[in-house]
Amino acid sequence: MSVKVHIHKTHRQFTNGLEVVETRGFTVGECLKDLVRQYPALSGSLYGKKGGLNPLLEIYVNAESAYPDEMAKGVKDGDAIHITLMLSGG
Amino acid sequence: MLDTKELVRYDRQILIPEIGESGQERLKNAKVFIAGAGGLGSPISIYLAAAGIGRIRLVDCDTVDASNLNRQVLHWEKDVGRKKVESACEKLKDLNPHIFIEPVCDVITAANVLKLIEGFDAVVDAMDNLETRFLLNKAAVDRQIPFFHGAVRGFEGRVMTILPGRTACLRCMRKESLPPEKFPVIGVAPALIGTIQATEVVKYFVGAGRLLTNRILLYDGLDCRFTEFQVRRDPNCDHCGHLKGRGQGE
Repeated sequence: MSVKVHIHKTHRQFTNGLEVVETRGFTVGECLKDLVRQYPALSGSLYGKKGGLNPLLEIYVNAESAYPDEMAKGVKDGDAIHITLMLSGG
Repeated sequence: MLDTKELVRYDRQILIPEIGESGQERLKNAKVFIAGAGGLGSPISIYLAAAGIGRIRLVDCDTVDASNLNRQVLHWEKDVGRKKVESACEKLKDLNPHIFIEPVCDVITAANVLKLIEGFDAVVDAMDNLETRFLLNKAAVDRQIPFFHGAVRGFEGRVMTILPGRTACLRCMRKESLPPEKFPVIGVAPALIGTIQATEVVKYFVGAGRLLTNRILLYDGLDCRFTEFQVRRDPNCDHCGHLKGRGQGE
């Protein structure tokens, strides 16, 4: 059981520069939890004040938006999770 | 009908089979609302004016600041302190005197957004904050006017085209707003994203190609990489969920 998490470049400072990290879990939330277990410094960037997903982030699973309820979205072996930044400038 | 001068001016794009004279006439008859005359608004309005969009309303409430000049290419050193819409429209009219360009110096609010976009065939997002984007998204959905979204930060950008009631809207993929920020940005990011938005607008009016609907295009300038993600219509979307349509059909 392996789910690849694609790390946004602003977060790679916390993953020793790794762009992709292999995680284990049956939901996006479980995979992110496993990601933080491997790279604890990511915690402050991934989670918001209430413990949910940081509102600055968006999650895509297999190149498809996981919104809403991203953390509960189911994943399976071989899936890919992308973490991207919400952009609002113009 | 296109006059002789217009036929000369637009000759090279009329040669494109997907445009032709009929497509050029459609561009001439098009009315486009551009929200923002800054980093995104500059390339969007330049290329839509150059392409011959017949009527452009450009809305922005700000004045030109020296810190805008790294990216807002419609504004020059001599324009610092002027209203952005005046600075922008002056250049756009010089670029193409065959079209009608209307500057509106105003803040886009929930109270005036519907009136501002009334009568337009397309709404283009060149804003610098998410809250106003949501206002525009809702107004465009309510009036069923195509909405062309773009946003940037740093070397990155994103683009998506919304056909209300037919394809996913901004709100289908996010409801939480973000506080306005002084965002970092290099001018080439809005240049590229704004140009893609303008391309989408032209494609929409001439009926060519495949629009960026139900998919969002992310651009990472540092890796020079484009990534496309699929977005689905949310039947419970608080902006577009009430519209019956062809769903994922685009």
